[in-house]
Amino acid sequence: MAVERAAGGTSLIDVLDRVLDKGIVIDAWVRVSLVGIDLITVEARVVVASIDTYLKYSEAVGQVSPVSRPQAELVAHQNVLAENAALRAELAASKSAATRSVVTRAPSRRRTRSIEE
Amino acid sequence: MPAGGRRTRTQAAHAEESQEGKYVYCVIKSERSLSFGPLGIGSEPADVHTVNYRDLAAIVSNTPMVVQDPTRDNVLAHQRVNETVMQQHTVIPMSFGSVFKTDDDIMELLRSAYDAFTDVLNKMQDKFEFGLKVLWDRDQIIREIEMEDEDIRRLKGEISSQKGSTYFARMQYGRLIDAALQSRSERYVAEIFHALRDVSVASRSNKPIGDRMIMNAAFLVSRNLEQAFDARVKDIGQRYDKLTFKYTGPWPPYNFVNIRLKLERAH
Repeated sequence: MAVERAAGGTSLIDVLDRVLDKGIVIDAWVRVSLVGIDLITVEARVVVASIDTYLKYSEAVGQVSPVSRPQAELVAHQNVLAENAALRAELAASKSAATRSVVTRAPSRRRTRSIEE
Repeated sequence: MPAGGRRTRTQAAHAEESQEGKYVYCVIKSERSLSFGPLGIGSEPADVHTVNYRDLAAIVSNTPMVVQDPTRDNVLAHQRVNETVMQQHTVIPMSFGSVFKTDDDIMELLRSAYDAFTDVLNKMQDKFEFGLKVLWDRDQIIREIEMEDEDIRRLKGEISSQKGSTYFARMQYGRLIDAALQSRSERYVAEIFHALRDVSVASRSNKPIGDRMIMNAAFLVSRNLEQAFDARVKDIGQRYDKLTFKYTGPWPPYNFVNIRLKLERAH
């Protein structure tokens, strides 16, 4: 069959596949939205948690294991909840302190916001 | 939580909503400040420009200080800006939805992650991503396998002519078909990867989506080999006339860069 190239923005699915969790990702948004504020009102600094570039030619099929993922997410979620509690405490303590906001990050799924509500 | 606490937070949120923030699309190398015109997120497409720190620049547009939902319009605007900037610059794409409060905060981001961004920009210099999904018509392939494989053909004959129980024949038929489909899909995928190897820098294989897809890959291609890659994909399309190809790009190198940033409380 004749193969035609489609520009990147043609298929919404292809765009969503890429933009939601690839490239430069700021993890803190999860915590921010769970704390119930859209801004970080405690003073913060940006830290590089990890850098990965994939410059190998991979021929492996289906590298993503569908089984192990939910468990990893569960652990991450528990960490977030713990962090959330810590941040709430800190927020209460530093309410009167001079504050500065750095960044807010949209949740890719609404679900994460409703946890707080 | 006491009701008073909630009210304070709501008031704070209202105050913030009227504020302007900066939506960040990607990071490029540039010492000059640049402008890309009204392409950005918003019902009135916002002006897209840079915030510079040393030789790095974040591509941004003004936006209300609210959480942007990944709606069709917003996501396509994010992609449109990346596509436009990519024509002239090597980009590291930002994932959707990062809004910073001030230019200073963005400069702080560029400063903090300066080494990481510089390193990755060098590695991605003059490279694009292309997507290639390959689908097949499973029933058509099964008919082909039945024609070609003598054992399977014989079993099929037995099942349709036999009067008694065909349970074991059907079981064996199913197993043979599954194995044949599996090995044929692996063969196609390996051949396609092999055919694109010398015209691309790197490739990643994502999990196929749905029953019909046998390959869901991304390729990183140098600017100077873009035409060769394009021609090769079209060759492959001709050669495998029973497969369907979904070929997209150029994309920013989303599948080849993952920089995770977190915020730490400063003391």
